[in-house]
Amino acid sequence: MLIDEGLASILANAILVLLLIIMFDYTFGWLERKTIAKAQFRHGPTYLGPFGFLQNIADVIKLIAKENIVPSNADKLIFSVLPPLFLSFFIFLVYLLPFSNSIGISLSLGLLAVFVLLSFSPLIVFLIGIASGNKFSAISAQRSVIMLLGYEIPLILSIAGVVLYAGSFNIATIVNDQRSAYFIFLMPIAFAVFFISMLAELERPPFDLREADSELIAGWLVDVGAPYYALALFVDYTRMFLGSLLISLLFLGGWLGPSILPPLIWLMIKAFVVAFIIVIIRATTVRMRLDKLLSFGWFWLLPLSVVSIILTFLLFVR
Amino acid sequence: MVKLKISKNELIEKLNEAVKEGYNYLVKITAVDYIDHLEVIYFIRNIENKKEENIRLDIKDGERLPTIVNIFKAADFYERELSEMFGIEIEGRKVERLLLEKWDGLEAPLRKKFEWGADYKRD
Amino acid sequence: MLTKINVGPIHPSTHGVLRLVVTLDGDTIVNVEPHIGFLHRGVEKLVENRMYMQSESYMEKVDYAAPMAYSDLYVSAVEEAMGVHIKERAKYVRLILLELQRIASHLLWLGTFCNDLGQMFTMFMWTMKDRDLVMNLLQDATGSRMFYVNMRVGGVSMDLPPDFEEHAKSLLDYLEKRIKDYEAFLEKNPVFIERTKGVGVLSRKDAINLGVTGPVLRASGVNFDVRSAYTYYAYEKLNFMPQIQVKGDVFARYKVRILEMKESIRLIRDALKEMPEGDALGMPIKLISPPIKEKEVIVRRELPRGEGMMYMVTDKQKPYRLSIRAPAFINLSALNHMAQGAKYADLFAILGSLDLVMADVDR
Repeated sequence: MLIDEGLASILANAILVLLLIIMFDYTFGWLERKTIAKAQFRHGPTYLGPFGFLQNIADVIKLIAKENIVPSNADKLIFSVLPPLFLSFFIFLVYLLPFSNSIGISLSLGLLAVFVLLSFSPLIVFLIGIASGNKFSAISAQRSVIMLLGYEIPLILSIAGVVLYAGSFNIATIVNDQRSAYFIFLMPIAFAVFFISMLAELERPPFDLREADSELIAGWLVDVGAPYYALALFVDYTRMFLGSLLISLLFLGGWLGPSILPPLIWLMIKAFVVAFIIVIIRATTVRMRLDKLLSFGWFWLLPLSVVSIILTFLLFVR
Repeated sequence: MVKLKISKNELIEKLNEAVKEGYNYLVKITAVDYIDHLEVIYFIRNIENKKEENIRLDIKDGERLPTIVNIFKAADFYERELSEMFGIEIEGRKVERLLLEKWDGLEAPLRKKFEWGADYKRD
Repeated sequence: MLTKINVGPIHPSTHGVLRLVVTLDGDTIVNVEPHIGFLHRGVEKLVENRMYMQSESYMEKVDYAAPMAYSDLYVSAVEEAMGVHIKERAKYVRLILLELQRIASHLLWLGTFCNDLGQMFTMFMWTMKDRDLVMNLLQDATGSRMFYVNMRVGGVSMDLPPDFEEHAKSLLDYLEKRIKDYEAFLEKNPVFIERTKGVGVLSRKDAINLGVTGPVLRASGVNFDVRSAYTYYAYEKLNFMPQIQVKGDVFARYKVRILEMKESIRLIRDALKEMPEGDALGMPIKLISPPIKEKEVIVRRELPRGEGMMYMVTDKQKPYRLSIRAPAFINLSALNHMAQGAKYADLFAILGSLDLVMADVDR
């Protein structure tokens, strides 16, 4: 069900969301480099543009202009088709989310659709890793699928409380139900479990086993050629956008806020704050080992998410 | 430096005796090339009372040394390095090259008769 | 099903050129085979063709993370061959410089160790900044930042400058605070504790049999440190205590090095207080035909990586044979034993805790 019917408004919505994705990806890339540099006593990019803001354009141009080398024992079809497919997959997922009461679409089973499709992403990584014909990529591909076993269940269970409270899977309804209080204050345990599971889903440190820099050189990206490496960066940033949007929509009140700023701007501010926190976590943690990670997921996150569902049911739904 | 010069056949029993007396740490196995014979030196140490002893034996060209890997596991890398640097053959275990690859057929480098640049072939 | 992975000579986590052929069963390690020799320069043979003090700079390049320690080891061998006793003040000067070198080497180790665990360079940047400050201080004392060549027979090449003491004191206060911060940063991090406790355990009996040395040996409960067993310079007078841990895992080795850094700070402070007046200069470096008294010489020193020993057979102008016992060489040979049954990700934690410098392994 589209919020505003009419071909012109559909087109305007689509272009606006695409511009938002590009804007967030670009700014987040810059923000990450500067923040990590400042945490490490360095400056980060400073030369191109004010505060090095245009550095990413230069990097992307350099990467796209390089030659794409496909190793001889890699599967050429999968190697050439899957990375762009991966990027379009995530852009499609961002399109399933509403951005305010009048921008973006809002499906009645939107939340369910997003999470069902999100669990396909490790499989695509698995395919690319296996198709590289290289042992390091194969190991990292296997690791990403094994991680899937640990984190999908707490991820889905932790939002079950949200769905119970709001009574529907429609994200716009969930956001509008937070007018009285944001869900982070009503369900803090669910928020904590969701945040950590989302970090694992996005494969950000401390769960970045898939591209473990010091062990697997670059994991599934070892043999990917330079233009596709730029695509992989965009996939990473778009996935961050999806993750921070989900966290802000489901628990931080989405586009609600005092009316000095339009609702869309509130949503973007909240998404940036969440992304900033995730970047700071990256600058300071040590990577976890795979089996410890799985035991953490099953022994801590899963029981906590069940506890939070029970608490929500007892306190609010009855 | 307590010097103890023995012959090749007594090596293993001498070392076993030393281990029983408490010399349980192997420091290094090295060799010196005095032109008519090679002198192989084993440095062992007693960790508890910090005493050191070195056991020496003389070897001529072409003789083989028994391996002591069963007594000290530390001898593994030292024996490999010794055999490739001095051309001594070690019996009782499979010895692979450690520091020098593709050096087969050429003179062992730490001998005095090794000529600098003799192995350089233009190809 | 066993797979063989080649952790090749070029890898972000093998410090230098080291090739490991790892046989994996799923995610568990069955066998690790190191292939070394990429950095072999034949130092032991080169020295046989140079006069005694001409080879001092070769010795520094054997360990490029702590060069002064090796050059001190070699010059002590030459001194013992010549029967020369070091001047009293020179003992303290050498001790101060060597302990500063040890702090710098352990700071470098801490940064690269955290890198291997997945820290993504944050700890590396912080510890390299501190190491840079220590190297500035060493530059004041010797004239260069990395390959110092400042040890001479009988003393050092330059005495400490007059304002060294106050610079050193302020730097030591700063370092003490920073090391406490690093300890708190890492030891309160449950992910770090999980990755390092119980990993790569080496029992006391195995440690002695495998011949490992240095912090690896002391972390397994063996009370052996060359500075207290075969004491030299002024360690006895300054009441040096070796730091021991008993568990023998990666965390114990980390802890031993942190405690060693604190002990070095204390030693430098005490040495600065008790240093006698006098002169510390040694003979000039051009020794053409020194009067050699001993035929064979053995010296031992405690390098930052372990125990280094030199056995030298002397000749009139050049050494007849120099045999170097490098600590990293024998520590690497214990890797296979320690990595049995560990996961693949633990291999890099264990390799990082051994503190290898490949030039030391290959010479």
